[in-house]
Amino acid sequence: MATTACFIIVSRNEIPIYEAEVGSAAKREDAAQLHQFILHAALDIVQDLAWTTSAMFLKAIDRFNDLVVSVYVTAGHTRFMLLHDSRNDDGIKSFFQEVHELYIKILLNPLYLPGSRITSSHFDTKVRALARKYL
Amino acid sequence: MADPATTLLGKMLLDEITPVVMVLRTALVEESCRKNGVSLVQMLSPFCNFNNIDVPVRTASDQPYRLHKFKLRLFYESDIRQPNLEVAKEQLKQVIAQAGEQDLSELCSDPPQISNVVGRSESQILPSWFQFFNKELMHTVSFSDHEAFDHPVACLLVVSSKDEQPLNRFVDLFNSNKLPSLLNDGAMDPKLLKHYLLVHDNQDGSSEKAAKILTEMRSTFGPNDCQLLCINSSEDGQIEHQDNPWAPYKSDDSPSQHLGSFLNSDDLNEIKDVMQELSSKHTIPYMEQKIRMLNQQVSATRKGFRNQIKNLWWRKGKEETSDSLQGPMYTFSSIESQIRILGDYAFMLRDYELALSNYRLISTDYKLDKAWKRYAGVQEMMGLAYFMLDQSRKDAEYCMENAFSTYLKIGSSSQQNATRCGLWWVEMLKAGHQYKEAATVYFRICGEEPLHSAVMLEQASYCYLLSKPPMLHKYGFHLVLSGDRYKKCDQIKHAIRTYRSAVSVYKGTTWSHIKDHVHFHIGQWYAFLEMHDIAVAHMLEVLACSHQSKTTQELFLRDFLRVIQKTGKTFEVLKLQLPVVNISSLKVIFEDHRTYASPAAASVRESLWSSLEEDMTPSLSNARSNWLEVQSKLISKSYTESNICVAGEPVKVDIEFKNPLQIPISVSNITLICELSASSEEIKSDTNGSTTKRQSDDESKMVATTGEMSSGTSFFTLSEVDVSLGGGETILVQLTVTPKVEGTLKIVGVRWKLSDSVVGLYNFEPNLVKKKIAKGKRKGKSFPSNDLMFLVIKSLPKLEGFIHPLPERVYAGDLRHLVLELRNQSDFSVKNLKMKISNSRFLTVGNRDDLTKDFPAFLQKTNAEQSGADGNFSKMPQAMFSFPEDSSIQGETPLMWPLWLRAAVPGNISMYITIYYEIKDVSSIIKYRMLRMHYYVQVLPSLNVSFQISPCPSRLQHYLVRMDVENQTNSENFQIHQLSSVGQQWEISLLQPFDAIFPSPSLFAGQALSCFFMLKNCGKSTSSDKISSPLICSNVSLQGSADKLFDITSSPLADFHYCERLQHGVSQDDTSTVDFILISQPSKSDGSGISDPQHLFSHHACHCSTLSSSPITWLVDRPRAVHHNFNASFCEVNLRMTIYNSSYAAVFVRVNTFDSPSSSGQSSDATSLQSNVPSGNQTGWHEIPVLTDIKLTSQLPPNQLRKLPSLESVPPFIWSGSSATSLHLEPMSSAEIPMKVCVFSPGTYDLSNYALDWKLFPDNSREDEAETSQTSGTCPGYPFYLTVLQST
Repeated sequence: MATTACFIIVSRNEIPIYEAEVGSAAKREDAAQLHQFILHAALDIVQDLAWTTSAMFLKAIDRFNDLVVSVYVTAGHTRFMLLHDSRNDDGIKSFFQEVHELYIKILLNPLYLPGSRITSSHFDTKVRALARKYL
Repeated sequence: MADPATTLLGKMLLDEITPVVMVLRTALVEESCRKNGVSLVQMLSPFCNFNNIDVPVRTASDQPYRLHKFKLRLFYESDIRQPNLEVAKEQLKQVIAQAGEQDLSELCSDPPQISNVVGRSESQILPSWFQFFNKELMHTVSFSDHEAFDHPVACLLVVSSKDEQPLNRFVDLFNSNKLPSLLNDGAMDPKLLKHYLLVHDNQDGSSEKAAKILTEMRSTFGPNDCQLLCINSSEDGQIEHQDNPWAPYKSDDSPSQHLGSFLNSDDLNEIKDVMQELSSKHTIPYMEQKIRMLNQQVSATRKGFRNQIKNLWWRKGKEETSDSLQGPMYTFSSIESQIRILGDYAFMLRDYELALSNYRLISTDYKLDKAWKRYAGVQEMMGLAYFMLDQSRKDAEYCMENAFSTYLKIGSSSQQNATRCGLWWVEMLKAGHQYKEAATVYFRICGEEPLHSAVMLEQASYCYLLSKPPMLHKYGFHLVLSGDRYKKCDQIKHAIRTYRSAVSVYKGTTWSHIKDHVHFHIGQWYAFLEMHDIAVAHMLEVLACSHQSKTTQELFLRDFLRVIQKTGKTFEVLKLQLPVVNISSLKVIFEDHRTYASPAAASVRESLWSSLEEDMTPSLSNARSNWLEVQSKLISKSYTESNICVAGEPVKVDIEFKNPLQIPISVSNITLICELSASSEEIKSDTNGSTTKRQSDDESKMVATTGEMSSGTSFFTLSEVDVSLGGGETILVQLTVTPKVEGTLKIVGVRWKLSDSVVGLYNFEPNLVKKKIAKGKRKGKSFPSNDLMFLVIKSLPKLEGFIHPLPERVYAGDLRHLVLELRNQSDFSVKNLKMKISNSRFLTVGNRDDLTKDFPAFLQKTNAEQSGADGNFSKMPQAMFSFPEDSSIQGETPLMWPLWLRAAVPGNISMYITIYYEIKDVSSIIKYRMLRMHYYVQVLPSLNVSFQISPCPSRLQHYLVRMDVENQTNSENFQIHQLSSVGQQWEISLLQPFDAIFPSPSLFAGQALSCFFMLKNCGKSTSSDKISSPLICSNVSLQGSADKLFDITSSPLADFHYCERLQHGVSQDDTSTVDFILISQPSKSDGSGISDPQHLFSHHACHCSTLSSSPITWLVDRPRAVHHNFNASFCEVNLRMTIYNSSYAAVFVRVNTFDSPSSSGQSSDATSLQSNVPSGNQTGWHEIPVLTDIKLTSQLPPNQLRKLPSLESVPPFIWSGSSATSLHLEPMSSAEIPMKVCVFSPGTYDLSNYALDWKLFPDNSREDEAETSQTSGTCPGYPFYLTVLQST
């Protein structure tokens, strides 16, 4: 499991709709904002890259010091962004794919307004379980 | 791509990589120059830049080319050394600090819009000091021994004409030990081009002496290398130069001094000539010559296949010996250094091809030698040469990258070199519009030094902004990174500058942590600079940080409050986010003609009230003119929209405050912001109305803006609420505003004070539109709408009502005496009071004299006579109660009126009471008002009482009543006191003495009880006057003492009984139903069995039908025991059957007798089944008379009973006489039939083998009933026993 990992789902209009610190490292006070900054900055690159490939998984697209940003872009341009320090491309890909399935289930909920914050605790537990499994 | 020379990098290179001239001078020369405020180098430098020359140059190739621009760099010998790193750093820091001071004013302004920033050109975005900073940074690595372009090409020896023995001085100057180390330690050739310059200060006298010295010099040092320079020709030193060439050297110490004030135009021209000659006649030809010489040398030793092989072999051999990181030391005479010099000279003379080929040649050598620093330096130059050649951008970048990474690889000693290399690289990328790549290079440049990296990161961020399309996210991120580093170096102004730009990027972002970080830090820094206003503005953004951890929230709040404190004033913040105002919870409660006794009453739906008040108000509006019409006449049309409230009566506003944080916050002084403008009528009447008006406006504005509660002069008073909100808590706050004068009141918003320092304001206006729509929807029913405009009218009397003592929780059946208290605080009296109660089953109005009576004792009958219950009974139907005319309420004396509460059924009961009253003073808009009261009572189940009635088999018109009582409470004990049957014709009596059926005086919790009564229909009542007839009842005491019976015909009990009857529906057949009232009292909880005299419970069972399924009842009258001598003959017994028709129709009855007991038994079973099916509740009832009859015949042994069915062969008796008798019975009449039975032997006989067939004659008047009920049927005979004994 990665020591640092921050997973964020960003809606198509660049609003974070789900955030989770899934790393095993002890949580530091300023880590959350640094992670947000790095992931937010990586949006520029996602913007460029998303249209150059048909694959949803964009691999590691950006890095800041030893932290790497991997991104998965759904067909609806919702971006799953993972900030991590481990090199486990396959695991990350599987993680993204499974989270995508979970996300689709959320979308199928008629009470969920697409683009709004995901508050489902069930989703949260599932994502964290997946992070433990794959990262 | 444009010509590389015109790009920024090109210009930079042409500026920086130029021949260096070392200047040696005597002290007197310097002194002469100082008169002008500049040093010698400074004086000469502006004239070393030749933009308009035309010098032919021929380097290695035979093709000459021309140089049009050239530059020499002049340095004192003491400056030609590697600069001290610490000093350089300090210098850089100052550069930055100065730059920071410059744009202080800008910091106060609002951050720029990001849309404006995008699309600006580079020069507009980049602060101008960046270039200067970069240049300074590059200069920190000048005069390195691994690069030749900083090595002096020529030496300028300057001696003053005042010097003694000037010729010797020239020699001394060069031979002194002060020469730079580069020359001394062998890194460069000490044999330099020397140029001798004699400076003559014209103020010291004529130049004749100088001319003499010059000739001496020429003879000594050669005629070409010596020159004379006369300066300070101006006598008075007042010369001012337009576009002063020395402006950059202006020192801050003496800004008033004019630089070069003693130099006139002749001097300037002379300087110009001297320098031009130095460059074009001496330096350039010298360099040409050197290039040609070195090139030959290099070609001889290194060019060609043979030399290369040799070189490789030689280096291979050397590899093992020297393996240090620095590589071998190269002296100027080594071939490597020579090649490098050749390359650098060629570069400086802009023969980039030649330079490149030599750099290439040398780079492999250095690489093989592992002389990494030199290798990197050469790679760097290769990159630049590629760039200047504008050939292969890729190669150029590759070389730069290679150089950069190599420098970094070497370690910290080459960090500065790496920085310079990186800066060149960046410029190269920028020239190619590769801003994104440039940004990453900038990012790589930033090393440990936080200040440098701050500047580099900032430059990187601008690169991201300039890239196409602009990468704003990266821009913001790097600005923040840079700002953090600036902060680390205490460059707060720079930090703020970067963050300000970042704020414009992150404006409106939903990335909460980012927003908090940026705003919090910039706020902190502004506070540090004592710019509190802006600091507060930024800090406000982060207050509602519910996503942050508790400690962070505390930090934010603490810092915020500290900043606020420092400002020393109270801030007013519109839409302060702490606490959060839940606008959807906004609820306005006001009272116009509708007044409320309690908040609970106000929250009841308006439709409920209006339905309750329906027949109270219209009666009035019919009687006189509609109050609405009156109102519309009085009030101008614009006012009809708004709500009405009464002066002196508070308007209440409920609003929710929510603390989004995990830490508690204290909110104080929560008040409404209101505006009240006095009504126009008042102003008209006033003589100086206009001033009043203005004053009132000012007044209200003052109140609205400053919120001071100047209650003495203000037109309204506000309530203040202080609350403390715990983490995540939501509190509903009720605020009131009480207008004092007539006019128009507007509730603008709400204000509060957070932690005694910040005042938050919240205006309700944005929601007004929404409310208007909502109001339109519920047009018609005038719900207290949320519209915030009120018309304040003159103060009116207002009734206040209470009911006491109203219990919250009672047991079902509990009868209580309550008092309604009405108060009127105003001086005006009210009249015409009416009251209506929604639930008269639970609550009724008593008589005025009930107040004084002692409950429940007064209900107890003292004598048997019926005391005046008639008046009450007739009052009951009307639901509205009018108070007597004389009951006016005014001032201190309240109106008390008794009420009776009876908890009829278990459940949660809401009681609505509305009281209507008219105001005696009719000049007001509002003619009447309503007082609405809402009470809520929880009723718990207590006793469950059920009655079952069946006809008594032994007597006509008698019924057996079984009463089942179950105590359903958990803890209460009850004492059953009395059972009353209601109705004129009914009489109830105990079947057994009371102590036989009640083993214990009280009924304990959970206990059930059954007891039997005999009910007798004694009287005849006609159905016509049954409602108006007084309630007549018959009571049976279950406690033994008949004198303590309660009079159920008196007021409250009778009233409630009537309600109960209504509740259960009016029975059509009043004569055949009976109502029971069970009176009980709770026992004292100690179990002593003594009833609590304060409470009385009444349970009502209405319309208990006495009818069985058949309309007829009959009775067989017979002797119980007959003595007969069977020896003589069989016994003949006469029986008499009395048949009574209890229905309202005529009945045809036929009595059939059967002789065979078996057949009769069968038919009996069949018929009993048939008759029992329609009336379900009678099912078990046939058993009961059997039981009672068994008791009566208990003297017979049971085995004899059992024997009876076995007598099959011969019936022991036979019916004699007619076997079937038919007769016609009129309604409510009886008839007798004689019957006879013959008995053959002594014994006890069951004479039940007969049946009555009956058939109703349809009656026209009761056709409806005939349809629903049975029209014919068969009744089996009762089992009754006849005992015949042998007489002796």
